[in-house]
Amino acid sequence: MVTESFSNNSGGKYRNLYVVIEHIEGKLVPVSLEMLGEARRLMDDFNQRYQESERVVAVVLGYKVQDLCQQLISYGADVVVYAENKELEYSRNTIDTKVIAQISRDAGLAKQISPEYIPPYIKPRYMFFAADSIGRHLSSTVLAELESGLASDINKLVISDIDFRHEHKTKGQTIRYERTLEMYRPDFSGFLWTTILCLDNKNPEIMRDYHPQGCSIIPGVFNAIEPDIAREGLILQYKPTIDPEDLKVKVLNKQMLKKKIDFDGHRIIVSMGRGIKDDPEQNVKLIEQFARLLDAEIGISLPLSKRLYQLSDSINSKYMIPERVIGTSGSKVAPSFYIATGIHGAVQHIAGMKESEFVVAINPDENAPIKDESDLFINGRMEDVLPIIIEELQKLTPIVSSHME
Amino acid sequence: MVNVAVIVKLEPDFSEGNVSYNPDGTLNRAETKSILGPHSAIACNAAFYTKITYGSRISIGTMGPPIADSALKQAQELTDADEMNLYSDRIFAGADTLATAEVLRSGIVKMLDGNKIDIVFSGHRASDGETGQTGPQTAWKLGYTFLGNVIEVNIDLERNYVIVKRLVMLQGFDGIVEEVEAPLPVFITVDPSYSPNYRTIYQRLAFAKYRKEAIARANNYKQFLKIYDSKSLGVDPKFVGLPGSPTIVYRVEKIPKAKASRKAQLIEGQDIDAIKSIVPKLRPIVS
Repeated sequence: MVTESFSNNSGGKYRNLYVVIEHIEGKLVPVSLEMLGEARRLMDDFNQRYQESERVVAVVLGYKVQDLCQQLISYGADVVVYAENKELEYSRNTIDTKVIAQISRDAGLAKQISPEYIPPYIKPRYMFFAADSIGRHLSSTVLAELESGLASDINKLVISDIDFRHEHKTKGQTIRYERTLEMYRPDFSGFLWTTILCLDNKNPEIMRDYHPQGCSIIPGVFNAIEPDIAREGLILQYKPTIDPEDLKVKVLNKQMLKKKIDFDGHRIIVSMGRGIKDDPEQNVKLIEQFARLLDAEIGISLPLSKRLYQLSDSINSKYMIPERVIGTSGSKVAPSFYIATGIHGAVQHIAGMKESEFVVAINPDENAPIKDESDLFINGRMEDVLPIIIEELQKLTPIVSSHME
Repeated sequence: MVNVAVIVKLEPDFSEGNVSYNPDGTLNRAETKSILGPHSAIACNAAFYTKITYGSRISIGTMGPPIADSALKQAQELTDADEMNLYSDRIFAGADTLATAEVLRSGIVKMLDGNKIDIVFSGHRASDGETGQTGPQTAWKLGYTFLGNVIEVNIDLERNYVIVKRLVMLQGFDGIVEEVEAPLPVFITVDPSYSPNYRTIYQRLAFAKYRKEAIARANNYKQFLKIYDSKSLGVDPKFVGLPGSPTIVYRVEKIPKAKASRKAQLIEGQDIDAIKSIVPKLRPIVS
């Protein structure tokens, strides 16, 4: 039973959805546009449902970034706040955190963003970051600075009113939390979804507001909207206060890493999952041999990147690495042939390979979800099936190599 | 002397043979034993590297139930730590990353008799929680410069600086190795691809010596162990455990199966001729 109703928007203290944009060498990282797309969909629905006019605010830090601002508007931002400074040219955690926190707390800026709202303004209602090498840490430090909650690696978002009872948060009372962001994150197994909420403490003994409700979003999960160059929006320059104390980190040099794994340059991808378990070292060698015969690139499922098996160091460092992961937490691939060996087929993995032209699965479990994504399903263990195919392929090898010369 | 801290975590052992799954594919926590997390172990390797190369003093900290001292013992074996700290109190239970960071912050400032810690190392992320937030949030609360995804650590003892290499991977772009310098103190999360490089004879000799000492110390690890509760740590109960956690786990559910998008032709594993029949399908692509 609802005993008391609290509104999270009382007086408009917390409003708008801030999206922290990432870019490199003058180009936007795709996840930035994906976040804007999801922000647009959520806030259109939010404004209609609650009769509000809260904004999607893109936050950009950098040097010579004006050109990006119009693009962000055409991809769904209502407002772009950009902080332009030579010191912000490269991403550095300390100064970036300070500037984003300044932007988040600036009441004057909030007034410019939404002149129709009555003060006081305290902080954003929601905040999005990318779950990558920059955003993962930046989201953590920004939310620590803003003293609020963060959920990481999100792949689904819903805004709803939630009736909730909790020993600490509500002192055992059922309370309605309006406009709550439900943040879904897939767990390590790939089969469970955990919904994280960031909720104010309504218990009088530990009363505390927790806003913004923050999350980091897995790249490649959400769709950007179709860009509309006629779309209008507000572009605001922000002049941050920069304390020299926060500039202690110096970037000495940057080196591009040569890509070692090339999924796009191969017509066949052979991938492996936990099905290697009965004889990991030997099974990986089988896969290696198989892939060599097919001139295929080798992929893995997410659990293998967690080094679950006793394997030689050379195999671990070559194959059991995040760069080889196919799925929402890794690469999306679309080869002519995708051969999934010993892969059960978590939703996240399937999202990464379902565009493949022809899919073969080798798996001893006929109920494995990968079957529903396969054109051909071989019901058997990889150590039994692969040698048969390899032997057959070896008969072809002379033809292959003569063509390759 | 460089003062180094390592923050570690006791985690379920996900390695094959030790991990147990429920029939629905989820982790069976009751049947799975716990060990020092693999990313914590990598952070320990980085700390041990600083001991061998620069002669640092090492203190290790963990928040967890009393049995988490086994993670400290394993961490001492890897680092030859001079001191270990267990932050354990019922009221810490259920903490999210912000509330955990509050406990760790309070613990780190008490390490090595209150001497200032120059470098804190922690793992990239835990294998069970997997948020990767606790490290950077603890750094922020300490007011330390945060450096993430670090793959190489060097210390300039004269200037009191670290020079590190970091791995930056962004969607749609080639990976970048960034070399940065920062004055001490710093908080470093170590990338999973980190591996210490002992090049000199001196390093190798020191490695052998300290490794031997580490094993001896770990056998008597309780001698090096300090246990703190919320009172001795001096934390405000409102900022730790469940009361100090902005976030809660609201729901856990199975991710629904995607709709079947293809109708698979089924081949039985014993049907050797049928298995062979897939090879001609591959042939036009291969040749």
